[in-house]
Amino acid sequence: MKYIDDPVKMQKEIIKKSYIIAVIPVVYSLISGESATLLGLIFGIVISTLILRLRVIHIRRSLNMSEDKANTFIRNRYFIEYAIYFVVLLVARKKVSLNFIATAAGLFLIKFTVIGWIILDMLKEKWQKKFDSYK
Amino acid sequence: MVEFSPDVIDTIIRAAALLGAGFAMIAGIGPGIGQGYAAGKAVESVARDPEARGNIITTMLLGQAVAESTGIYSLVIAIVLIFTI
Repeated sequence: MKYIDDPVKMQKEIIKKSYIIAVIPVVYSLISGESATLLGLIFGIVISTLILRLRVIHIRRSLNMSEDKANTFIRNRYFIEYAIYFVVLLVARKKVSLNFIATAAGLFLIKFTVIGWIILDMLKEKWQKKFDSYK
Repeated sequence: MVEFSPDVIDTIIRAAALLGAGFAMIAGIGPGIGQGYAAGKAVESVARDPEARGNIITTMLLGQAVAESTGIYSLVIAIVLIFTI
């Protein structure tokens, strides 16, 4: 996998790939004139990006702690992030100007990008091995 | 056979939805415990091989990003159950 040794570059690559994927639904909602979907999607993606950046900071901090302290620290931070997700989804549900499903999709976008990237990478490696064995 | 009035049926449905939302939220606990455990093991790995620090941070970041999605699924389901019915 590219940039596996460099967390900052990896984080930027994930965000870049997610934004490239997000262009399709954003343009579609712009063309169809669904402003609630557009706003919800942007809201979800922005929060998701910020939480990813926050997670890198937390992981870096946790690696300087003892094992038990890191365990508790990351667990507590997860519940804080969970509360943030809850507030975001609650606002999306309550506000008429935000589409709830689009917001949830925006929150999930980075996760699906990571999963897709890993699967594609694995397939690429597998095909490369097969190709090399035929040579 | 006992027949319930529409009000009672509505109350039962609401109660069941809220109960379901509560059960769905249990799924939010698992990723937290898992992430904490992974962080502890990452600290152990860094102590064993400090040169692999970057690699460990990246792998942990990817793992945590994916692990968290099950928690958010449960949150979405809970909010839909609470506010739709």
